[in-house]
Amino acid sequence: MYDSVILRTVARLMLPILLLLSVFMLLRGHNLPGGGFIGGLVASCGVILQMVAFGPSFARRVMPVNYLALAAFGVCFAAFWGLPALFSGLPYMTAFWIEPSIPGVGKIGTPVLFDVGVYFTVVGVTTQLALLLAEEPVLFPMPPEPPGAEPEGAPQA
Amino acid sequence: MLIALVLLALASAPLGLLARREPRPLIGWLLALIPLALFAGLCSQLPTVLAGGRVDAALPWVPAMGLELRFALDGLSMLFALIITGIGVLILGYAGFYMDKDPGLGRFLATLILFMGAMLGLVLAGNVLTMFVFWELTSVTSYLLIGYKHDYPEARRGAQQSLLITGGGGLALLVGLLILGQAAQQAGVPATEAYRFDAIIGAGEAIRQSPLYAPAVWLVFLGCFTKSAQLPFHFWLPGAMQAPTPASAFLHSATMVKAGVYLLARLAPGLGGTALWHTTLILVGGATFVFGAIVACRQFDIKALLAYTTLSMLGGLVLLIGLGGDYGAEALAVNILAHALYKSALFMVAGIIDHEAGTRDLKRLGGMRAYMPITMVVAALALLSQMAIPVELGFVAKEWMLEAALESPQPAPLRFLGLAAILTAAVAYIVAGWRLFRNVFLGQPHPDVLQHHVEEPKFGMLVAPALPALLSLVLPVGFLPLVSQFLSPAAGAVLGEPLRFELYLYHGVTPALLLSLSAIVVGGLLATRERQIAALPGAPAWFNGGLLFDRLIDGMLAFATSLTRRTQVGRMRAYMLYSVLAFLGLVGLPFLLFGLGAVRVGADSDLHFYEIIATGLIPVGILATITARSRLGAIIAVGVVGAMVSLFFVLFSAPDLALTQLLIEVLSTVFLLLVFSVLPARFESLSPSWVRWRDAGIAIVFGALMTGLVLATATSELFPPLAPYFLANSLAEGKGANVVNVILVDFRGFDTMGEITVLFIAVLGIFGLLRFRRQVPIAVRRSQHAVIPGAPVGGAEAATPEEEPVKG
Repeated sequence: MYDSVILRTVARLMLPILLLLSVFMLLRGHNLPGGGFIGGLVASCGVILQMVAFGPSFARRVMPVNYLALAAFGVCFAAFWGLPALFSGLPYMTAFWIEPSIPGVGKIGTPVLFDVGVYFTVVGVTTQLALLLAEEPVLFPMPPEPPGAEPEGAPQA
Repeated sequence: MLIALVLLALASAPLGLLARREPRPLIGWLLALIPLALFAGLCSQLPTVLAGGRVDAALPWVPAMGLELRFALDGLSMLFALIITGIGVLILGYAGFYMDKDPGLGRFLATLILFMGAMLGLVLAGNVLTMFVFWELTSVTSYLLIGYKHDYPEARRGAQQSLLITGGGGLALLVGLLILGQAAQQAGVPATEAYRFDAIIGAGEAIRQSPLYAPAVWLVFLGCFTKSAQLPFHFWLPGAMQAPTPASAFLHSATMVKAGVYLLARLAPGLGGTALWHTTLILVGGATFVFGAIVACRQFDIKALLAYTTLSMLGGLVLLIGLGGDYGAEALAVNILAHALYKSALFMVAGIIDHEAGTRDLKRLGGMRAYMPITMVVAALALLSQMAIPVELGFVAKEWMLEAALESPQPAPLRFLGLAAILTAAVAYIVAGWRLFRNVFLGQPHPDVLQHHVEEPKFGMLVAPALPALLSLVLPVGFLPLVSQFLSPAAGAVLGEPLRFELYLYHGVTPALLLSLSAIVVGGLLATRERQIAALPGAPAWFNGGLLFDRLIDGMLAFATSLTRRTQVGRMRAYMLYSVLAFLGLVGLPFLLFGLGAVRVGADSDLHFYEIIATGLIPVGILATITARSRLGAIIAVGVVGAMVSLFFVLFSAPDLALTQLLIEVLSTVFLLLVFSVLPARFESLSPSWVRWRDAGIAIVFGALMTGLVLATATSELFPPLAPYFLANSLAEGKGANVVNVILVDFRGFDTMGEITVLFIAVLGIFGLLRFRRQVPIAVRRSQHAVIPGAPVGGAEAATPEEEPVKG
């Protein structure tokens, strides 16, 4: 979109860093600032940065994910981890925890997995929204791209 | 047992689809085995019920709120349930013959069985909420049955009227029942049991003293009167004769319209006994009784004539509940049985005549005695019962009705009003009955009839009306003690105490007998002049409940359309304006009136300079946003506000909020840039200045209100603060040190679940709006925008909002 060398270079470097940061934010969320919502926003910032720098079609290609499906998966995943309690006769979404905490990750339990669902939903929804807007032909009339063509200066994904 | 019965009835409904195939008449009788099995199952419980016992069954769902599937079978339920299943057998068999040429018979029978199951559930329900579910189910299924011939506008109109009227009454009823449950709880019934019929009846004494009594009773009345077609909600019932005749016969004799009467009878021991109850029921019931009977004398369509007599009889039953007393309860039971028998037979006979002669118009029939003598006998038996001629069951029932009026414990004026209504209706019934019989069976055949090949219907069709018609004669002649024994527990349930009574045909010369006979004599005299009665001028054409109701609906739709056109203008700022104004009205006014006292400005002494700077930058950012000349400037200025708010969160040690706020700021800046990049770089002033001053004023008031609300809640002492609980339990119960996150995913996990679902739905909506837009040509899209049925096509013009913002 904006043919800026600085932006494109930074964006290229930032994508893996932001994705890693988002997972980090997600996992530490239960004890330190972070969590699924923040992690999801960080991850989608990474993809949206690609979109701003290289255009939506490149952003789609560099992370070939169906974000709508990802959001749907997130909702289902979050809902799913409320179910185990039902089998023990407890109310929906009662928490279960694995007792010994896993080094580097921390304690794992259904609320953490629920948070993972939130993470996926937020990534999917936010990124999908941004891409939908950027791909809107009324706003951004673009000549039909020949298939496989790379925008100028784009790195090989 | 009871749960299985009701479930069997509902679950076997799809079997009705079998009747799509030939031989349809045979399959009809085969399907009649379903209600027959139910009938037999109910009969197996007869010994318990006749001994005054009750069969209970319950399946708890949310016990704490009294939500359960509860069924109870006592005398009254038994009477209704046996009528429903018994007549259901005949109707299903009859329908197979009546509609043997109709390819839609499968769908019809499936709906009919569902209808029967719903009605069965209604009369067996032991919990008012259980009953309500089935109540609504009968409304929905009857809608499907009345609108069965959906290619006819009249059928659609009748179906819609019945659904709107009974559905609207159902809503009132639900509120009434909930109030009753509340009243029962206030009377000391535990919440788990408060919605059971026996609990409400048991707490009747306390409920009648409660201030909730009057509103609850009025709402229950509204539900029952709409369902049972009492004045002034009567007009949907004649409209419902658009249903195929088997459905009409079922609906009029055993199901649906009897639901209102059933509920009133069921609640009578608990809610009855007050002047409100008895006066209303006597006046409304009596008026409907007389109105229906007199209007019936003037009808030319057989089904319309019968529909008005049903209307009338429903009024009579309501009147009997209003009259009360021993005789009232007994007469109610007898009349329900007698009416179910003769009315089902009459409707099925009407169907036979329609089937054979091709018309139901009394002016185009006649002389049928030569072609269908057996049908004539069946019709005569049923009609004699309706006309209350001795020794039919209808005669016994009418005499008991007169006794109920004579012996009623109500004050004399009401009693005599009831008596007058009964006598008037009795006379009118004779005229109507004679009119029907004479114009169909006697006299010379109409030329139209001669063109048809009229003959006796097949045995499988004739037996269905013949059985109840014969029972109308045989029961009073041979089996009155048995009938009395069967009806005693039903009457007892209406009265609220055990009861044993004996029906009789002749018990010496009593006032009731004399009145009954004199009504027959007067009726007979008037019946000879039925032609002149029918020719008398009636009410003006516009004075017709159905038409007035249609006007009401049309007017409502027109109003809704104009309101939609005015409010849904498709401009963001209009929606913002409405939302803010609504908020100011709904929250601001109460806050001004009641909440101002809660506003407290704490004088915090240790303000740090950086707090002051952060606070001070927020208004600066806002002013900059408002006065910015370029879009980019406005975006940056908004960003300043967001950044300062995040800083605030940092200062007040809420790192999670700060992080989230910052990320959201970044993302919304990206979104704004995306959209604004295609708009002109500079703002233009399009609104006149008074509009902008008005908007500024509203915005300032709104901001002031929000400030006040925040100040009021921050210092509120109405509720104990929640924070200490979360702080104390977060690590212990939620296994997490980050309290905010633990609240999000554990303590308030349900909220989060809802939020991410909303997020997903929002993105789905945006996806649909943006992606599926251009694939439909604009002309087609316009026509699809007529969201409101019946809205003028021009209304669609304004309803294409998503184009507006795009054009900018």
